[in-house]
Amino acid sequence: MSNNLLEVKNLKKSFGGLQAVDIKELKFKKNQLTSIIGPNGAGKTTFFDLISGFQTADSGDIFLNGDDISNSQPYQIARMGMIRTFQLTKVFDRMTVLENLMFSGSSVTNDSFTKSIINTKKQRNYEIELKDKSYEIMEDLNISHMADSYARELSGGQKKLLELARSIINNPETLLLDEPLAGVNPKLAEDLLDLIQKLASSGISILMVEHNIEAVMKISERIVVLSEGTLIADGSPNDIRNDQSVIEAYLGKDDE
Amino acid sequence: MLDQLGNGLLLGIIISVASVALSLLYGVTRIVNFAHGEIIALGAIATLFFSSPIDYRVLFLDKFSPLGLNFALSCILAVIICGLFGGLLELILFRPLRKGNVGNIAVLVVTIGLSIFIRHLYLLFATGKVQNFPLELQRRQTYLFFDMTPRNLKVLIAGILVMILIGLLLTYTKLGKAMRAVRDSEELSSVSGINSDNIILITWISSSMLAGLAGVFQAIINDVRWNMGFLILLLIFAGTVLGGIGTSFGAMVGGFIIGILVQVSVGLPFMEGHTEAKNAVALGIMIVILLFRPQGIFGQKERIS
Amino acid sequence: MSSLLTSKRAIFAIAITSFSIYLVFLLNPEGALRILINLLTFAGIYGLSAIGLNVHFGWTGLLNFGHASFMGMGAYVTLLLMPHAAGREGEVTTTGFPIIIAVFVGIAAAALFGLLLGLPAIRLRGDYLAIVTIAAAEIFRLLVRDLESITGGVYGIISYTENLQKFRPEFINSLSLNYEFAPSQAWVGIIAWVSIILTLFLLKRLNSSPWGRALRAVREDEDAVRAMGKNAVWLKLQSFMLGAGIAGLSGVLLAFNYGSLETTVFVPLLTFYVWAIMILGGVGSLTGPIFGSIIFWVIISETDRLAYIFFENANGQQLAGFRFLLVGLLIMLLMIFRPSGLLGKKEELLLDVK
Repeated sequence: MSNNLLEVKNLKKSFGGLQAVDIKELKFKKNQLTSIIGPNGAGKTTFFDLISGFQTADSGDIFLNGDDISNSQPYQIARMGMIRTFQLTKVFDRMTVLENLMFSGSSVTNDSFTKSIINTKKQRNYEIELKDKSYEIMEDLNISHMADSYARELSGGQKKLLELARSIINNPETLLLDEPLAGVNPKLAEDLLDLIQKLASSGISILMVEHNIEAVMKISERIVVLSEGTLIADGSPNDIRNDQSVIEAYLGKDDE
Repeated sequence: MLDQLGNGLLLGIIISVASVALSLLYGVTRIVNFAHGEIIALGAIATLFFSSPIDYRVLFLDKFSPLGLNFALSCILAVIICGLFGGLLELILFRPLRKGNVGNIAVLVVTIGLSIFIRHLYLLFATGKVQNFPLELQRRQTYLFFDMTPRNLKVLIAGILVMILIGLLLTYTKLGKAMRAVRDSEELSSVSGINSDNIILITWISSSMLAGLAGVFQAIINDVRWNMGFLILLLIFAGTVLGGIGTSFGAMVGGFIIGILVQVSVGLPFMEGHTEAKNAVALGIMIVILLFRPQGIFGQKERIS
Repeated sequence: MSSLLTSKRAIFAIAITSFSIYLVFLLNPEGALRILINLLTFAGIYGLSAIGLNVHFGWTGLLNFGHASFMGMGAYVTLLLMPHAAGREGEVTTTGFPIIIAVFVGIAAAALFGLLLGLPAIRLRGDYLAIVTIAAAEIFRLLVRDLESITGGVYGIISYTENLQKFRPEFINSLSLNYEFAPSQAWVGIIAWVSIILTLFLLKRLNSSPWGRALRAVREDEDAVRAMGKNAVWLKLQSFMLGAGIAGLSGVLLAFNYGSLETTVFVPLLTFYVWAIMILGGVGSLTGPIFGSIIFWVIISETDRLAYIFFENANGQQLAGFRFLLVGLLIMLLMIFRPSGLLGKKEELLLDVK
């Protein structure tokens, strides 16, 4: 149908009278790193929720690789290759870092109830490979020394790394990063940014909601600006830097 | 079917009053109180104790004889006792739990344990026999399109008046507004100077008084049993859910509808010979509502799942 | 989630359980063995049921207050598939399936009932799920009561115990003559405890398996589970079915223990007993229900005497009431002062309703 990775048409969502999202048309291409920015309350997270299935739009259509996902469940969308992270990091607190990863990397068929009772050789081999893969990723992200610690013992920054590790263990086609740098110290932010860029160049399409404008300007190929639920600007970092409406949207909000 | 309408209205007023009581409590404290039925029963049992003649054949706790007081006075006393009991529960049990940051699930299980405990205390105190208030038997009369005894009609009217009164109190008085404020947000209301601890205490007292009243009604209309509260607890949940959790008006309406539906369903063709299953109808409705319209008729879309 | 045999709590649990059993001998100079066998049989049956409930609440955080209906489903389906007599006239059915098959079908029926109930209900928030499960159990009870032609209604089902007792080994019979206890009950008790052991092996395996890991993740954070492409609702449903099936088996055993089955058996009070046992043993602990159940039944059977002391003029119904009164008190005190019970983990219960 189309070559676009993600397409959104006439997407509307309101909460008790407040229009949270109202986007006529928005398309995303594959293999791009796009950032979504905008003042607080612009509807960025709601937009993420809508395209990842965590909320249902009041009206409008969403297409992922040509398939209509407007009414799809989050787990279905994730299986189609689009994985998201959350603003408030969600890790499995009472499981170890290793378990966090192995769970995420385990396929649905591997998790099967009957297979787990029978404990087939195939499953055992799968688990060994899964463990190796998990260690690989942990080493890449420098958290392998925490492998057997419970996730709740991790620092805020380490949790972000874990969430990221979890999201990429299955080689997703698309990553939705919801404020990956929020509340993170500058050194870690730099490392995370490098990581995100590496992921982008390895072929993963990335959509990132961020408030850190400097970071956004540094690594984005394209920037989409939302304000009060609608699209007000869309272009390269340079375009956005000089866009009057964007400046007003941010300044205007500050005045209030 | 219509001849059950009278019974339906009566069951309706009982459940209605009890549902409003439960809803009031839930709205302000967010507690689903499984011991609610026991407070209802307390109203009836206390009235029985106060009003039964002194030489009554049943001794309470095998030792105490009833007091033989005037019936109306007994009812009033009983309702007050229920209010005090509710207040006591809040002070010695639920407030410490709240301050100790105990989770909802634990509190819910505590109310279940409490209900089992109290209910069997009643069994020991008032015996397992079915008993009645010392009131003379009356014949049913026809009013408009339903039948009931004159006394029951008075109960129905009294109940409706109480409901109207509660509604007015909640909407127009300072206290009522404070209760609604705490219901909507405990933090915000404390910032605006409302002492939520006091409001919660008052809520417990008034909810318990209402529950006690429902028990008195139930006993006048039917009888007094040690487990009378437990028997209608599920119907009360159904009424509250149907009307909309957290809205008193919804509970009022929901309770009535459930009461009428339960009794009227006795007349339905497939219920032939299965009158005991009439409760199942109400329960089935409740489950369906929770699945498809969890906020009930008048409730707001709260997080149900 | 299972108890480490070297930990202090485990030692305490074993100690207090042993002490309770000792107490039985102490308080009953005559017929102690008979009482103990009776007690241990009930403890085994209820313990198994509590293990099932633990899968629901301890593993998955589901507030199931209709557990008795799963037990009932297992019991009724199994009994009706074997030779039995039912109803007011005691109509005899001589045909039926071998007991092994009947039991399997009974367990499957209970699991399916779990699926049926779970499909709509599992998405509901904690307190609403509690209400719905109670309501569903009540509907089950009323239906069973009314479908008299099938289930025997209030007259119930009898004459089915032979199906199990005919397999009773000879050594039990000889032992029972020497030591004075009921051989049929001992047989049921043995099967109950064997079932517990087998079930625990199964659960232990599942717990350390990928499926168990997925279920734990669901309990930690459902949204994250969904974002990883896993169907959280289906996982919860599977766990619901598993616990229901286990409960179904315990229901069958309960029926065999009683010798006759009718509608006053699978009532809310039964569910509350199982909850008390699960909390006492420790929510989330695999072996907790075993200790909880034994101690619970010692308390229940020995405090019947206390009732006599307190209430001299009490009749039978009131004495039974005293027992329940203690159960209610126990539940309350446990939840307030020691929600983790003997072997459970504290955080499980301080969770807020999700």
